[in-house]
Amino acid sequence: MNIPDGILCSKTHEWVLEKDNCATIGLTDWAVEQLGDIVFIELPEVGSTFNKNEVFATIESVKAASEIYMPISGEVTEVNEQLINSPELINEDAFSAWLVKVKPQDFQQDSEGLLEYDDYKDEVQ
Amino acid sequence: MTTTDKKTSLYDEHIKLGAKMVPFGGWIMPVQYEGIIKEHNATRNFAGLFDVSHMGEVYIKGKESLEFLESIVPQNLKDLKEGQAIYCQLPNKEGGLIDDLIIYNAKNIIDDVDYLIVINASRIEYDIPFMQKEAQNFGAEVINKSDDFSMLALQGPNSQYIIEKMGINLENQPKFFTFKKAFLDDCPVFLTRTGYTGEDGFEIIFEHKYASKLWNKILSYKDEFNVVPVGLGARDTLRLEAGLPLYGHELNENTTPIESSLGFFIPQEKDADYNGKALILKQKLKQTPLRRKLFAFVMEDRQIARNGYEVYIDNKKVGVVTSGAPSPTLGKNIGFCMIKFENLPSDLVAKLNNIKESIGTPIQIMVRNKLYNAKIVKKPFIKKNYKK
Repeated sequence: MNIPDGILCSKTHEWVLEKDNCATIGLTDWAVEQLGDIVFIELPEVGSTFNKNEVFATIESVKAASEIYMPISGEVTEVNEQLINSPELINEDAFSAWLVKVKPQDFQQDSEGLLEYDDYKDEVQ
Repeated sequence: MTTTDKKTSLYDEHIKLGAKMVPFGGWIMPVQYEGIIKEHNATRNFAGLFDVSHMGEVYIKGKESLEFLESIVPQNLKDLKEGQAIYCQLPNKEGGLIDDLIIYNAKNIIDDVDYLIVINASRIEYDIPFMQKEAQNFGAEVINKSDDFSMLALQGPNSQYIIEKMGINLENQPKFFTFKKAFLDDCPVFLTRTGYTGEDGFEIIFEHKYASKLWNKILSYKDEFNVVPVGLGARDTLRLEAGLPLYGHELNENTTPIESSLGFFIPQEKDADYNGKALILKQKLKQTPLRRKLFAFVMEDRQIARNGYEVYIDNKKVGVVTSGAPSPTLGKNIGFCMIKFENLPSDLVAKLNNIKESIGTPIQIMVRNKLYNAKIVKKPFIKKNYKK
């Protein structure tokens, strides 16, 4: 598993990678490890908008359903349709199995308080 | 996890294997080792080893042991022969359930003991005082042995071959729902042919000092018989697929065994009086209407139903999901729900009261504020593979 350069992580275990005003968002490897076998995912519709810290998706393991929070505000431009039928891809590689792509409202401001991956790892361990 | 959660004798073994530990019924227990689905499938296809040391054990002795037990469970125990076991329930005076349990006739097997009872971990503190109070009317003694024993469950089609390797050949192994005293790899144990997975298998009760030795010996057959350690996560999906109830979910103090769909286990004829007998038997004989009933269901939409989700029929709230999970064996999402009959149209109640007619009834489950389709099905969800 490759950890992409420049990702930022939230305390609620989402990662976000911003490039050319497009933010790719997923769930951290640590969170995926805690959840275990992922068997179901519910993703938002393209075009829907979310505020930072709002629930935008649900991921279910065998044991429980978990809500996923937006690390930044913005409009969903793409969802990873492949995960609908193959949610287990998230278990295989949490960083290549992104959930949504978002057009950020104000990435600069929203990314304040997000942690670099190494700092995030220190925090959760 | 609180500091008061108890550790089983195998706690260090679970940590060594990298298990995820969670609090359960006052204990800190492994929920999974390598993954729930893998552990589930290994148990169905090969063998799974479970630490179930949290379960409670009770000895009953005294000259009126039989009369005492007959007064607290709906089952007939007169015909339970030495070494035989029977699945029972422990009703309160109103017919609701304090616990479900397995009673073993231990005469001439455990020294100076008439019956062994295995009870749920979370119910030990309720069962013991209740039984001790009830026993005051009889020449019988209730002894809580829960702190004295560890317990393993070895489940799945390869279990019998592992037990054979450990010194008991197939002919000498206890048959379905019986038990015997035995030596497994030189460790003295009570070996029972029971379980909670719908597979053939054993439960093994022994003193704590043998726990690590037996655990590691059984797991040493992993290459030969594909046995893996299994946590509470897969224990739950395995028992759910097999249609077996879990106390606190499908069973509780306000619901009779008939309402919890355990009517099959309740004999119509029993001489002795027992707690809740009047209501339980009237319900069994359909002489009084049920207040609610437990049903098995399969999701038709892709969503997963979970414990506590609301159940609807024709957009009207009628009940609640008591257990729900993805079924690794079926590749469908399954569950149990309790449907309340009050305020339902009488033709619908009549249909739901008839097991055959109830099958296929459409219901909806509220998942994250939206209704999704499901239908009532027959339990168990899978065919049981007991070796009888």
